[in-house]
Amino acid sequence: MTRVVGTNARRADGEDKVRGAAVYGMDHGVTGTLQAKLLRSPVPAGRIRRLDTARAAALPGVHAIITAADVPDTTSGWILKDQPMFAREEVRYIGEPIAAVAAETTEQAEAAVAAIELEIDPLEPLTDMDAALADDARLIHPAWESYPMLAPGPRSGNVAWESTLDRGDVDAAFAAAHLVVEDEFTTQRQHQSPIEPHAAVGRFEGGRYVVHSPAQFPFLVRDRLAEWLGVPASKVRVVVTTIGGGFGGKIDAMLEPFVCVLARKTGRAVRLVNTRAEELQTAGPRENARIRIRTAVSAEGEILGQEADTNADNGAYSGEIVACAAVPGLVFGGTYRVPVARYRTRVVYTNTAPTAAFRGVNGPYAMFALEQHLDHIAAKLGMDRRELRLRNVVKAGEAIANGQVLDDAVFDEGFARIEEIAPWAEGAPSGNPRALRGKGIGAVTWLTNPGPGGATVKINEDGTAGVICAGAEIGTGAVAVGLRQIVAEELGLTPDQVVILPADTDAGTYDGGAQGSRTLFSLGNAAVQASTQVREQLLEVAANLLEASAADLELDDGHVRVKGSPGAQVPLAAVALTALHTSGPISATGRHITPPVQFDSGCLTGALFTGFATPTYHVHSAEVEVDRDTGKVTILRYVVAQDVGRAINPQQVEGQILGGVLQGVGYALYEDLRVADGVTLDASLENYRLPTAFEAPPIDIALLDNPWPEGPYGAKGAGEPSIIPVAAVIASAVSDAIGKPIRNLPITPFDVLAALREDGTTEGTTR
Amino acid sequence: MPHSFTVNDRHVEVDAPDMTPLLSVLRGPLGLTGAKPGCGEGRCGACTVLVDGRPAVSCLTPVALAEGRKVRTVEGLAEPDGPLNPLQDALLEHGGVQCGACTPGILMALTALFERDATPDEAAVKESLAGNICRCTGYHKIVEAALAVAGGNGGRS
Repeated sequence: MTRVVGTNARRADGEDKVRGAAVYGMDHGVTGTLQAKLLRSPVPAGRIRRLDTARAAALPGVHAIITAADVPDTTSGWILKDQPMFAREEVRYIGEPIAAVAAETTEQAEAAVAAIELEIDPLEPLTDMDAALADDARLIHPAWESYPMLAPGPRSGNVAWESTLDRGDVDAAFAAAHLVVEDEFTTQRQHQSPIEPHAAVGRFEGGRYVVHSPAQFPFLVRDRLAEWLGVPASKVRVVVTTIGGGFGGKIDAMLEPFVCVLARKTGRAVRLVNTRAEELQTAGPRENARIRIRTAVSAEGEILGQEADTNADNGAYSGEIVACAAVPGLVFGGTYRVPVARYRTRVVYTNTAPTAAFRGVNGPYAMFALEQHLDHIAAKLGMDRRELRLRNVVKAGEAIANGQVLDDAVFDEGFARIEEIAPWAEGAPSGNPRALRGKGIGAVTWLTNPGPGGATVKINEDGTAGVICAGAEIGTGAVAVGLRQIVAEELGLTPDQVVILPADTDAGTYDGGAQGSRTLFSLGNAAVQASTQVREQLLEVAANLLEASAADLELDDGHVRVKGSPGAQVPLAAVALTALHTSGPISATGRHITPPVQFDSGCLTGALFTGFATPTYHVHSAEVEVDRDTGKVTILRYVVAQDVGRAINPQQVEGQILGGVLQGVGYALYEDLRVADGVTLDASLENYRLPTAFEAPPIDIALLDNPWPEGPYGAKGAGEPSIIPVAAVIASAVSDAIGKPIRNLPITPFDVLAALREDGTTEGTTR
Repeated sequence: MPHSFTVNDRHVEVDAPDMTPLLSVLRGPLGLTGAKPGCGEGRCGACTVLVDGRPAVSCLTPVALAEGRKVRTVEGLAEPDGPLNPLQDALLEHGGVQCGACTPGILMALTALFERDATPDEAAVKESLAGNICRCTGYHKIVEAALAVAGGNGGRS
């Protein structure tokens, strides 16, 4: 029994957020700080012939203008370090920073940007992957071989990164197959579009750079700044503000280096905030991709072997997509039994804005492709689509394509729970009898990011607890409520007696960032370890005060108590104060790292994620109706069965699922960050269409209780994965309704109508 | 140009060109950063304030149009040292806040709704949020919170 863990405690930052008092990155330095703007490249590819800032620098209010000439000639990046802070000789995408201005006001900074004299000799732009992969294609990075890497991986020319998974005799499987099915899919860019744009305020003090920004992964930002600014990491301090949404888009550094250098040049604090247009056009979205997949199956619908080839658009510079290049293969071969497999992902440079992590990195399109492909196989075999999945989905103890054994897979339970809520053979009520109806169902394995973390727990002299860590509270509540609940549970406190210091790289232990559902998993484990030591320290001091053996003591309700002796107790405040004079202040640090995944190490190349660390299991289903006159898709019912290990705060977990599903609905039906000739066409939320309250479908949630022994109180990661299956099951449902395959995302009304008007339409199966 | 109006019942005078967005005046000289500059183009609703009781995206509202009017922002919903108002409290109770950047605008849109109709149904709540984007929550828990305040059954369960 737990007292605090498993309850819907309120978030610590909630009051400030509903009062308008929380200070976000965009709120820092609104007044009294210099305002900065960037000069960005107007062309997708070219060589800088002339860059003259003299006239601009003389304009009123301008304090400094910096260009590549003012910063070290280095490149930086998380895995593949190919990105300069400013374009130096060559520009590689529209929007690439070329100069930065700091002025008294934003208007003055904008005027100075406009007055910078820039001449660029255009180069042939390679604005799509096919052009970049052509045999005679110009090299987007002529010096690609010289770039440093965090870890080596196969690369070549315009292929920034390649990852392969090759296991077993695939050719033999295809030769022996009853049926071979092959498909090709393309998917679009999707923009994270948090309400808060990227923002940063920089200062230079004590010979160090201090930057305040809504950073998801402050230590990555620190390390990137160190690389760009040519200083040791210890010369950089990243202080995380309240984060106004990130979804992966705020993992990497973006505006931070510019304010740091401008602050040093001007001796003033400097602020830089993206406009919404800059956000959409330059802050890396989910990558567009093309997937070819081919499967050998038996007459009974058993998958015998599979191969897939994925091209993922890196844009001009590398972010997280290279880090996750192995993910499509893990999705293809990680859920349904694929005994032999050959997968390749190429991450391809193009002269477009760099792409980046968006919740479920590389996963949603891989699952979309796989599930449509399975539907195609089911149709060819004349088999029920759900039945095909049930026959192939892995069971506990079975291995997936990389050789990893999934000991605790709970897909059967997931399918069963969905069947209870929304039986496959029954339809949801609808007000439109003329509409076409369809259903989709699919499953996926996902991971809890295994990155390291640490937490220090101390007992304050008033008997409350303090936690120091560098976990960024991105909005999920992982830090603001989940971590508090765990520490409160451990120490016999209430959540509001636990105070957590906001993330600051000067204070907290290294932390792997708010990504891949890892924050509460990793920091929860670290905090449990720290709390265990704190508890021992408390009991040791209290044992003297209570004249009892430490073994007979317990922590409860802010006191140390003698078990079974009501009244024999001492408040934590008294213990903490006593400790100041006896044992020393009460404090301990815990740390955490997830052990490496056990897999067949010979089968993978170029893989930073080699398998599913702390795996989680997900089954989603959707039922839609399609208006045959307008092509409009309406989601009548959506069901999620998700393994979260154990929910530390069920309400917050539900919030993650509901939010992730709606982002997935956007990806499936509405969101399409269009790029043409290197120009990101969607520069406004007027045409980049985010889901509103009207598009939120009814969603039922079944949390699968599947405690993970190595998780804090059994928890696994829960934040990220709900977005991944959504496009897959909605596309299956639409395809079922209209009797036509869906091969591209998003599924717009125009696409639906065009598909319906194709010859040979067999109208929807009304089930 | 001088402009005078009230913000959260306090008389203010600001000197700014007529077309200056009200949002800039609130966040700059008036120091009220609760309204958020999410998009600056009237699409996200995070900067929603009430002008004479009606929701307005303050990023597209010229300060001249506030002249002589009553402007209310999220900071005025509850006394800074007082308890939360029922909508604020319900949003937290029902888990309707994640990153919170949309929350000030959501609260002002819902405030306008509840001042018009103390017992709105789900359709009316969603209608009132038509101009507010929330990227985190998927809206359900926000709608649930509003329906709880309306005295309903806490929305769909």
